[in-house]
Amino acid sequence: MSPAVVTQQLRKEFSLGWGRGRVLAVEGLDLEVRRGEVFGLLGPNGSGKSTAMKMILGLLRPTSGRAEVCGCRAGTLAARRQIGFLPENPYFPAFLCGAELVRYYGRLSGMGGKKLEERVEELLSLVRLEGEAGRRPLRTYSKGMVQRAGLAGALVSDPEIVMLDEPTAGVDPAGSREIRDLILELKRRGKTVIFSSHLLEQVEDVADRVSILHRGQKLREGRLEDLLTQTAEWQVRVRGLSEAHRRDLHGWLAQHGGEVLEEGSPRERLEDYFLRSLPEKERP
Amino acid sequence: MRESWRRIRAVAANTFLEAVRQKVFAVLLLFAVVLLGGANYFAEFSFQEQFKFLKDLGYATISLTGLLVGLLGAAQLIPAEIERRTILTALCRPLRRWEFVAGKYLGLVSLLGVMLAIMGTVFWFVLRWKEAQLIGVEGGEAAAVQAIQAEARDPRLWQAFALIAAKLFVVCGLAVFFSTLATSTTFVVAMTLMVYLIGHLQSVAREQWLESGEKANWLLQAFLAGVALTVPDFTLYALIDEIVAGNVVRWRSTLEVLAYSAAYVGVLLAAAAWLFEARDL
Repeated sequence: MSPAVVTQQLRKEFSLGWGRGRVLAVEGLDLEVRRGEVFGLLGPNGSGKSTAMKMILGLLRPTSGRAEVCGCRAGTLAARRQIGFLPENPYFPAFLCGAELVRYYGRLSGMGGKKLEERVEELLSLVRLEGEAGRRPLRTYSKGMVQRAGLAGALVSDPEIVMLDEPTAGVDPAGSREIRDLILELKRRGKTVIFSSHLLEQVEDVADRVSILHRGQKLREGRLEDLLTQTAEWQVRVRGLSEAHRRDLHGWLAQHGGEVLEEGSPRERLEDYFLRSLPEKERP
Repeated sequence: MRESWRRIRAVAANTFLEAVRQKVFAVLLLFAVVLLGGANYFAEFSFQEQFKFLKDLGYATISLTGLLVGLLGAAQLIPAEIERRTILTALCRPLRRWEFVAGKYLGLVSLLGVMLAIMGTVFWFVLRWKEAQLIGVEGGEAAAVQAIQAEARDPRLWQAFALIAAKLFVVCGLAVFFSTLATSTTFVVAMTLMVYLIGHLQSVAREQWLESGEKANWLLQAFLAGVALTVPDFTLYALIDEIVAGNVVRWRSTLEVLAYSAAYVGVLLAAAAWLFEARDL
């Protein structure tokens, strides 16, 4: 089976117009995203993440190189049938309600009739916009609700690949956690998720593999476990050790040449603490 | 092909819905309806003059409202979608770019069609209202009644109506064409309006170009040729004025203008689709 996405020597230059030269956004990008994995594109703003995504989607033409989606040339109808996309800070037609938005994207994907109506209901329920919330105009939605409605729109044609460009940008921690959970749910359903972010903690929570981009070039790529595990060090978390036994342990470690680099009670992540502080019914 | 049509229809329906849910178009329509209805109270001349006044004002109102709808609708076309980035979530789907362009045009034309139908119906009622008023004043004399009815129920009015619609559909075609090039809504509105105005001088430019020969400055000749060959000839729609003035305009001439409009819109949309295909989003 062909990989979900392959890019080979992908390059994009933008003309600045009026003889002001050109700017290089992506240079010689080689990527391979396997089916069913959550793949993170990391990098600071301007590193070429969105440009690379747009070339895979066929919204931008590569200056050179090529991209394939499930074995089809990127940008062709066959390739686009395989992808659902949520852009960064999306603005959807504000005159539509959540259900109309999902229905519109379904129709653009060639769907219709009862099948589409059932799919709309199913997706609104998946993103927790069922009932009254799905019938409200998008202009009354919070940022997190807009993101979730957009995600439902991206999923309407049941694509093999879901691409999310900075899906948590501008979203509060609760909304951010909801999106993270949705990504994990998509993975559980066997979808390939490609998402970009500069919020590294969030990537760490969900990505199987990541690629780090900087000024349009790939710096590193690999499984998070391989990239982040420091094999030269060893860490242990202990509960129920008395002060005397702790001193003994220090002595034993020193005796065997071990140097204690860090010691103390573990700290909870702020995001987890914040979410735990919310009233139970408002937690994602 | 069926799937393609379904996608075009989805874009058109969305464009139409967006326009319908905006207050500005409802206000424009209300303004036109009030003007058309109120026209009945202005005229105090002979019945022929009253009908001429009604038709003059009626067609001017319909044309102007249609033009404003076309221009304001054009502002919401592709540049607004790019600005709001809604275009990204539409074109990343299995939707061809020409289908998107065709859908946008059809949506705009549908809006215009509905507004023209409403204004046309109101105008028809105003004419019949005037007919009833005048027959009451003239006292039911057979010859007078016949003459009044001939004015009020003149089938050429539909001829003029079809020409107005064709003219406005060409304006919409121009708006769609410029929207595939532009990055701002102001540019689309300004360019469409400019070409609309130049189009009323197109026949003059064409005559000048054909008659200038080799003695004319090449730059001037190139300019005149550009105008003559690319800008639509809006003077062709002067047939509307002929009809309002009570002159006979053959259906053949009307059909020729309608065919010219359809061909021009076809070329505009094909060029728009071609330009849009290569555009980075």
